[in-house]
Amino acid sequence: MTAPQPQVSSRTHRSQSTRNWGAFAFLAPALLILFLTLVLPGLLTLGMSVTDVSFLRPTSFVGAANYLKLLSDPHFRDAMGNTLYYTVGVTFPTMAVGLLAAVALNRNFPGRIAFRTIFYLPVLTSLIAASVVWMYIYEPYSGLLNGVLVKLGLDPQPWLQSPGLAMPALILMAIWRDFGTAMIIYLAGLQDIPKDIYEAARLDGAGRRDILLRITIPMLSSVSFYLMIILIVQTFQVFGAIYVMTGGGPLGSTSTVVFQMYQTAFAYADFGYAAAMSTVLFLCILLFSILGTRLMPRSRA
Amino acid sequence: MTGPNSGTPLRAGSNSSNLRIGPILESLIGYATLLFFALLCIAPFIWMIGTSFKADAELYEFPPSFLPASLQWQNYLDAIHSPNALRQLINSLIYACGSTLCNLVFCSLAGYALARLQFPGRTVIFAAVVGLLMVPAQSQIVPVFLIVQKIPFAGGNNWLGQGGTGLLNTYWGMILPSAATPFGIFLMRQFFTRIPMEYEEAARLDGAGTFMIFWRVILPLARPSMAVLGILSFQAAWNDFIWPLILTSSRDMATLQLGLQLLQTGPDARWNVVMAMATLITLPVILVYIVVQQFVVDGGVSTGIKG
Repeated sequence: MTAPQPQVSSRTHRSQSTRNWGAFAFLAPALLILFLTLVLPGLLTLGMSVTDVSFLRPTSFVGAANYLKLLSDPHFRDAMGNTLYYTVGVTFPTMAVGLLAAVALNRNFPGRIAFRTIFYLPVLTSLIAASVVWMYIYEPYSGLLNGVLVKLGLDPQPWLQSPGLAMPALILMAIWRDFGTAMIIYLAGLQDIPKDIYEAARLDGAGRRDILLRITIPMLSSVSFYLMIILIVQTFQVFGAIYVMTGGGPLGSTSTVVFQMYQTAFAYADFGYAAAMSTVLFLCILLFSILGTRLMPRSRA
Repeated sequence: MTGPNSGTPLRAGSNSSNLRIGPILESLIGYATLLFFALLCIAPFIWMIGTSFKADAELYEFPPSFLPASLQWQNYLDAIHSPNALRQLINSLIYACGSTLCNLVFCSLAGYALARLQFPGRTVIFAAVVGLLMVPAQSQIVPVFLIVQKIPFAGGNNWLGQGGTGLLNTYWGMILPSAATPFGIFLMRQFFTRIPMEYEEAARLDGAGTFMIFWRVILPLARPSMAVLGILSFQAAWNDFIWPLILTSSRDMATLQLGLQLLQTGPDARWNVVMAMATLITLPVILVYIVVQQFVVDGGVSTGIKG
């Protein structure tokens, strides 16, 4: 097999210690990058959140002032509300649609792979390409959606230009883009359900809907929790679609936490205040993750 | 006469006929439903590609037609000839390939150490990597920007990281935050733990050192996982928008995703050219996926997919 290496014979007697140091050589580059891009930023955020750092004037320590300001900031409260609305609006419908698609495709029939590929295509599109295409779908005077509505005899709507409709329009696009992920994860989960449970239920005369509600969904509960956490963590940080499609408008109706953080840091150069927002966001997401792992049934966690 | 003959069994035993006709009808309805949703799902793609071939005048029709009257390839030429398009393509390729290569190297090295090597602190480091999976990367973008700006000795910085622009507006700075990810390390570690110990022991008896075993024995076995990690890394960097947006201020460093956004918000934006550009950006990822979908689907399943 492998040709013997010249230096090996001298190494074997101290292989334990060389392996120890070798392991850190293997780990060092990755750990350095993780430290620079995840650990240190986390610490920096905490540190900056108690200062008024802006890089335009000398920085001073302000204690909890940024956090107190957040508590009474109506814009931040609106952003929190918008973010929650978006997160709930995207997460649960995405799971439901993904589950239905997975159940439909969990049988052997001709064309199964083609359908699976089609349902997964939106996941592959870049956020910006998807956003630009959906902006044109929602375009009031030449867009596809209003075109279809008019052909059906309904009234056209100013989708992204209306404070009431902009958020649902963004949510619809996010469901389109995300349900393929949910479908793939559910398809994997369905593989793990023993086939004889279905046969027993069928022998007992259970209908298709009973089987879905009484067997499939309960058996998938740990997969669902996992998926829910992924989706919540991901949608809670929504930024790109909002930056491109609405810019937080109209009338601040789609301004979310990360969008406001971006604006506070890069448009108003108020890095300390942005860091406080970031910390709050981090704590919210951590809370979801902990809740999720606590709620997760022991069996498969 | 066939009519009455075929009619009688239907009436005679409706139960048995249900068994024969029911499944066919049911699968027809099933197919129709699936087709309907598949159409809804790819409608935005058809709309994108259809619009990309429309003539300028067609853009102002209302209600709009789904498909173009004729194929205007000129839109694609206009998209390619939009300012800086070639430069953006090169930038995107460097970003995506660099990020992919770094991920493959660093994550497989670290994953191997966590899976197979014995050293003090192994469980702590692995627990830390799993913990970092939960850190919301998007919310950390402001401090990451500041760190990249303050890398010592880069971009005119002194040893304290002061005075210059650091790695802002450079490829290194663009690649750094995605050069190794907790997800990639986790993925590779999970794969390496499943390789039977015997392979390594045989090589060790032959006298191979740790790195040789990793390079010659383990890595060739890890091709499927490397393919998954490579595709997901490439896709994430190719599709990334936020980090290049924040990092780059000069137009020379913009990626295709930024270019598409600039094209769409530009003063003389034409939807057909914008859609042609969107098609050009989207197609490579979809084609690669269709070619290697077995890897992506299976790998995505075993470890979970990052957004």
